[in-house]
Amino acid sequence: MKRFVIAVCLSLPLALAGQVIVDTPLSARLTGYDIDAILEPDSHVVSGDMRAWWVNNSAQPVRDVMMHMYLNAFSSNKSTFARGGRWSPAGDDGWGWVRIESMVDAKGQDLTDSMRYVSPDDGNEYDRTVLQVVLPEPVQPGDTLVLKISFESKLPSPIVRTGYADDFHFVAQWFPKFGVYETAGTRDRESDGWNCHQFHPSSEFYSNHSVYNVTVKLPEEYVVGSGGMFMEELALGEGMKKVVWRAEDIVDFAWTAWPGYQVMTRNWRDVDITFLASEKGIRKADQQFEAVIYALEYLDDRVGPYPWPHLTFVDPPMSGQGAGGMEYTTLFTTSGGGLFPSFIRMPEMVTIHEFGHAYFMGILASNEFEEPWIDEGINSYWEQRIVDDSYGDGYGLLRLPFIKLSDADQGRMVYVSSRSQTISTNDLPSWMYPHGTYSMMSYNKAATWLHTLEGIITTETMDNVFREYYRRWAFRHPSGRDFIAVVNDVVRSEHGNRFGEDMNWFFDQVLYGHEVCDYMVSGITSNKIRSYSGVIDGDSVTYVKSDRKSDTLYLSRVSLERPGGLILPVEVLIGFDDGSEIIETWDGKAAWKDFEYTGTSKAVWVKVDPDDKIDLDVNRVNNSWSSDQEFPAARRMAKKFIFLMQIMISLITV
Amino acid sequence: MALLRVLKKGAAAAALSYKQLLVIWVVSLIMILFVSFPLRVMLNAVFGNSMAVMRLTDGFDAGLLGDVGKPFLYLISAASTGGLLLLLAGFLLYTFFAGGLFASYTTAWGGLKMTAFIRESARNFLPFLKVNLLILLIIAGYTLIVLGIPVAARMALAKGSMPEGGSMILFYSIWLLGLPLWLFVADASRRWIAATGSDKAFRAMGAGFRALKERFWVSYGTVLLILIINALFIFISFWYLACSIPEKGGLIFLFLIVTQIMFFIRLFMKAWRYASVCEAVR
Repeated sequence: MKRFVIAVCLSLPLALAGQVIVDTPLSARLTGYDIDAILEPDSHVVSGDMRAWWVNNSAQPVRDVMMHMYLNAFSSNKSTFARGGRWSPAGDDGWGWVRIESMVDAKGQDLTDSMRYVSPDDGNEYDRTVLQVVLPEPVQPGDTLVLKISFESKLPSPIVRTGYADDFHFVAQWFPKFGVYETAGTRDRESDGWNCHQFHPSSEFYSNHSVYNVTVKLPEEYVVGSGGMFMEELALGEGMKKVVWRAEDIVDFAWTAWPGYQVMTRNWRDVDITFLASEKGIRKADQQFEAVIYALEYLDDRVGPYPWPHLTFVDPPMSGQGAGGMEYTTLFTTSGGGLFPSFIRMPEMVTIHEFGHAYFMGILASNEFEEPWIDEGINSYWEQRIVDDSYGDGYGLLRLPFIKLSDADQGRMVYVSSRSQTISTNDLPSWMYPHGTYSMMSYNKAATWLHTLEGIITTETMDNVFREYYRRWAFRHPSGRDFIAVVNDVVRSEHGNRFGEDMNWFFDQVLYGHEVCDYMVSGITSNKIRSYSGVIDGDSVTYVKSDRKSDTLYLSRVSLERPGGLILPVEVLIGFDDGSEIIETWDGKAAWKDFEYTGTSKAVWVKVDPDDKIDLDVNRVNNSWSSDQEFPAARRMAKKFIFLMQIMISLITV
Repeated sequence: MALLRVLKKGAAAAALSYKQLLVIWVVSLIMILFVSFPLRVMLNAVFGNSMAVMRLTDGFDAGLLGDVGKPFLYLISAASTGGLLLLLAGFLLYTFFAGGLFASYTTAWGGLKMTAFIRESARNFLPFLKVNLLILLIIAGYTLIVLGIPVAARMALAKGSMPEGGSMILFYSIWLLGLPLWLFVADASRRWIAATGSDKAFRAMGAGFRALKERFWVSYGTVLLILIINALFIFISFWYLACSIPEKGGLIFLFLIVTQIMFFIRLFMKAWRYASVCEAVR
């Protein structure tokens, strides 16, 4: 075996030894793939020969390998993915699959008889999305396993992230791919083992940072793009061409081919950015590039450097919108670029979000299956910051004279208006969220409590948290606990014990708990303090008339309540009728709190959380109270309604 | 010159009918207040003593929707239902008063007494309603042919995406240029009913089409010109409605005054079209 390993190592090609894109490897590069594929557009089949390798970095011999076969999610109506109800084929030609036609190891031993499908998540016997291969000989610690695989992948239709629509092809999850072999201690794991989940309707992916050398042959009229760096394109004659890409240290390799693509390129610093879109979508290229560059600058400045010199993004045509809004690190898809008027920043929001995944699970490669909040929640949080900071005074998603909406509010609105806020904790695996709450919990609730955390520890500290998170965990596999450890360390170093020993009290409630946060003002009373009257002195009763004119002091009582079960410290701003203001802090631990003030002025209004730092508060309408019931906004809206109706009636009448 | 003469006489007749227009304005305002006032009370109830309402000060902050929750959905539902009922009631009300206005411009040069105005409105209501419904049907069919079919065909060719570009601009232009024809026919038909006292809607429509044929260019030009001015005015009205955000009591009252003046001008321009068509057909 030892001699074999040495031989393999010596023969490893450019993929192992050469640095083509980055000067030094960014990751441990435990896996790699050299793929030679051909696209047959009429049958929507990609056939390929692949040389895949995996390094056993554990201290134990490993006797099997687990591989993703995710296109098989589309191979029957009984796959775990299809059972989730998200997909059914568009006719008999709509099914998708990936088949291994042959698999041999470096010695030439045929492994096809050692393959079997397993279903580690739900035991579904019909699911064929995870393949286990029992090896004839274990892979020793430090050794590299090399597999030569011939496969055939049929793309599904309609597209769900991957697939085809007419001559549009988006080719993702298309080749047999190693799971992640985790050693004890990685992501709080107790013992070594493969982490390879089935393909679920509500889940994304988890992979090693890998090196890819990919060659695709296809008809020459097809315009292509991928997550790899373009190496060369050669005409093969008879209407065919060959495209070669290389990618380093990315977690997945996807590509797309469509004759209708228009291509535009821009540069940001040393990064070549390529945009592929339909004729309609390319008209919005300026806005799309602007969005990508906003995100690049924002995250580069506040989290860490974008390390690759290339980035490609795609706005699929209308027929291929199922491929939109997905990320493959150095390739991502946006959507709707040609559909929305320019004042609605929805396409830009999608672009920024999907680009953000280059960081949050691309560079910081968390497990999207088991902890979706740590990539979708964190990424949504950053997307909202970027959109709202970049597109206009905190109201980034929509800003017109008569209506406005911030991206953070849009995300928060999904959470606070959900009836399932308390249905579960926020740390569940993606497929375990009940009642369709995966998206609300993983994206919206998590982003909302991250904004709340920012409100508590300050924006500057939050940025430092992410800089440290990047420094410690870039090109590794962090878990939620690893992120919390970073928060605790950074907060302690910047704020000491201001928030307690650590921030676990926060995460115990928002991540591992399911209570809601709600603070409420129950009212303000302000009464004059009367001078002493009605004296009882021994047996005689003397009535002393109060000199009301001399009563000048008021006792004001501001009454607050906490109907929600989640406890957070909160600021309270109280205003008095002489224009003065007092700011208080309430630790929120008790169910209610009264603030009392004695003075010559009356308390007339109060705002709990005046700067809207606690985004988790599910009802901000009850956070304030004013004795002044003048509602100019309501009056104005009523007047506008009158005029609108008058004009509309005059319009519909002949 | 004939066109200018018609427009000038039409404007003079419409101006003479200012009292009738005031009546229409007052009645329609009262009708809308029946819906808008409860809506305002409901909006106040939703927010209670909360200062969150200040987030609506410089435009509607849609982020509030999640906080307000179900009461806001009820408010939207009430506003939508109330709005639809108002549109229906308004359509009937304007059809009613159009009877009086056409009688005024046909028989009395705008100077109809108020009792006669109401009486003529009542007398003409049913035949006017029939004419209005018929002409709306014709416009719907016309829209389907000129816009609906080309859009559907191009969507089929473009695999579902909305068509755009030069040819669609052409179709929209054709649709817009055709609209004055149907409005003239509607006005001339109603003028015929007001002048003859007949309640035969189809005969009135026939008279309308004949009138269009007899003096086509003057008729068409009159309505087209007034429609263009109307369209500009409506654009300005919507722009003002959207962009004006008065924040204090006095400014809100001023907003009400300005919008009501604008609406009265809108009423006048509608009356101007009626009177000009009556003059063109005369």
